[in-house]
Amino acid sequence: MSSKHEILNALKLSALTNHPMPSIDVAPRVEDLVGQFETNLKTVAGTLHREGGLAALQAKVDELIAQGLQVISLVEGVTANRDVPPTAHELRDIDYAVIPGDVGVAENGAIWVNNKNLGHRVTPFICENLILALPIHKIVPNMHQAAKEVTLDAGEFGVFIAGPSKTADIEQALVVGAHGACSLNVYLV
Amino acid sequence: MAYQHNHEAMGSQVHAYKADIFCRDETRVDWHSKALWLLREKRDRAAGSLPEWEQLRQLGSEIKLHTLTNLAQYLETFEQNCLANGIKVHWAKDGAEHNRIVHEILASHKVKKLVKSKSMLTEECHLNPYLEQRGIEVIDTDLGERIIQLAKMPPSHIVVPAIHMKKEEVGDLFHDKLGTKAGESDPLYLTRAARAHLREQFLSADAAMTGVNMAIADKGAVVVCTNEGNADMGANLPKLQLHSMGIDKVVPDIDSAAVLLRTLARNATGQPVTTYSAFYRGPQVDGEMHVIIVDNGRTEMMKDKILAESLKCIRCGGCLNTCPVYRRSGGYSYNYTIPGPIGIAVGATHDNTNSIAWACTLCGSCTYVCPTKVPLDKIIHHHRRLKAEAGKLPYGKNAYMPLVGKFMASTTLLNCSMGAARTALRILPGSLLKPFSGAWGKYRELPVAPNSSFEAWFKKHRSL
Ligand code: SF4
Repeated sequence: MSSKHEILNALKLSALTNHPMPSIDVAPRVEDLVGQFETNLKTVAGTLHREGGLAALQAKVDELIAQGLQVISLVEGVTANRDVPPTAHELRDIDYAVIPGDVGVAENGAIWVNNKNLGHRVTPFICENLILALPIHKIVPNMHQAAKEVTLDAGEFGVFIAGPSKTADIEQALVVGAHGACSLNVYLV
Repeated sequence: MAYQHNHEAMGSQVHAYKADIFCRDETRVDWHSKALWLLREKRDRAAGSLPEWEQLRQLGSEIKLHTLTNLAQYLETFEQNCLANGIKVHWAKDGAEHNRIVHEILASHKVKKLVKSKSMLTEECHLNPYLEQRGIEVIDTDLGERIIQLAKMPPSHIVVPAIHMKKEEVGDLFHDKLGTKAGESDPLYLTRAARAHLREQFLSADAAMTGVNMAIADKGAVVVCTNEGNADMGANLPKLQLHSMGIDKVVPDIDSAAVLLRTLARNATGQPVTTYSAFYRGPQVDGEMHVIIVDNGRTEMMKDKILAESLKCIRCGGCLNTCPVYRRSGGYSYNYTIPGPIGIAVGATHDNTNSIAWACTLCGSCTYVCPTKVPLDKIIHHHRRLKAEAGKLPYGKNAYMPLVGKFMASTTLLNCSMGAARTALRILPGSLLKPFSGAWGKYRELPVAPNSSFEAWFKKHRSL
């Protein structure tokens, strides 16, 4: 008998009796979504830029390039100085990656990013710093709403990103910038 | 070396003995307890800021219970949907089979270096030494995991695995192994050094392996949560990615995962959500993705109605942080990869010292904080009963417990002995009595005895 069938057979001896699936109906907090989002993004060590939209973002990118930094942009309407390379490993020296975010979650400051917009899946992790462009009308109150909004087709990869990478593994001291990006700036567009 | 001080605590010994080793350094015990209590406080603030917290716990509990009661069906749906997404699925009944499967996949791709992100399941299966013996270099990439891997220690906590180590010890270790400056113990400096070191590992790895926080049945996707981004740096660089999951990780849909994601990080560290919650629904272009579904004793636990509920656990670590015994006895005193209350719940059956089921005061704090309402104190109590029924009470308890039973059953005997005890506590010096109180009395004063028994008090007052 295959291990799969052994496991499934063993489950027939389970002592648990049927329990119905609960309906997930949690009241959302809808007042001041952008304000909630901003507060929670700050809690997870990210920064929100409310004003200026794409123009402000482009100005920031120009400034970074002028400083001699390597910037890649996957946001339509924002130009940078690096293109998507053939292999993911070639992204190792990227200083800033500018990526579109699909859905923002007010309750926790997380932003859903889908691999359709990433070039390589590793882009938001391998860059030294991450900038996300988020449409203002795409902020939802909580994860229950977000679960309904996100797209994840067969074969895809998607990730909720809440702030820059961080760790507290050495004596509980919070250090921002572990293996992923060391900073996160979010531009509302 | 200092950071190896806990090595003597290895091996199978009764909990009290190992806790005693940990307790020799009183300042360290205080420090350990405080570090974990800080997490508990952060957790309380995060939970308190959500008016729907109790509703989420209830939902979490019911979603897990529902999935567990229909597990065969959900696992099959999950497998079918994975296959449709181009994910290869494997089933392993135990740790040995799991390791064999992993090795076969890696060997067929001639993998020399594997980057791993935190997975208690692969710890449970002892995967690292298995692969290392077969010539594969295994790099744990979570910072805490890397620290203890370099120090050649097992994890002492399921979320913060190096919580027992001080920054000076990490500094010495990194100086030794990574060539950082001697005497440097600044967490920022050390983390940056580890970042540089591990980046090289990610970029040169042939394959990546992660654990699974949730497996989504109706999508055929796995969810992996980290704060450091190590799982995703790993899985998205090499073309080969492996994910190991216990059969208990499956949930029906994304909505269910969203409920658990809302409580997982809040209960673990007080964060509103983990920094990265990644959903993998297929391999990258030209890549390969494997999921290994592992039983390793879980179906056995499900045969017992009470033990089965421990499979609702989402491994947030909250019960460890709140546990007064864990905080003062350390993660190495439990004879199991997973320490603390949940470690007792899932590990006591196999504890050959038959002592860890007693590493608990039954205060119930763990049950109270658990985001999926795992009835930990009830499960631990049940383990004691199972041990007693199997005639496996730990040394000492075996000898006196039957007597306690007889005492309790007989009113006369009980009253007489309690009277004797009260008298003894009043007139005999503490030093003479203390040895009779065993480990309990070691760090405590004996109680001041009341003048009369409750029985006598009740007789006197009940007419009032
Ligand atoms: S038993 Fe509950 S509190 Fe403990 S680790 Fe599991 S989910 Fe968290």
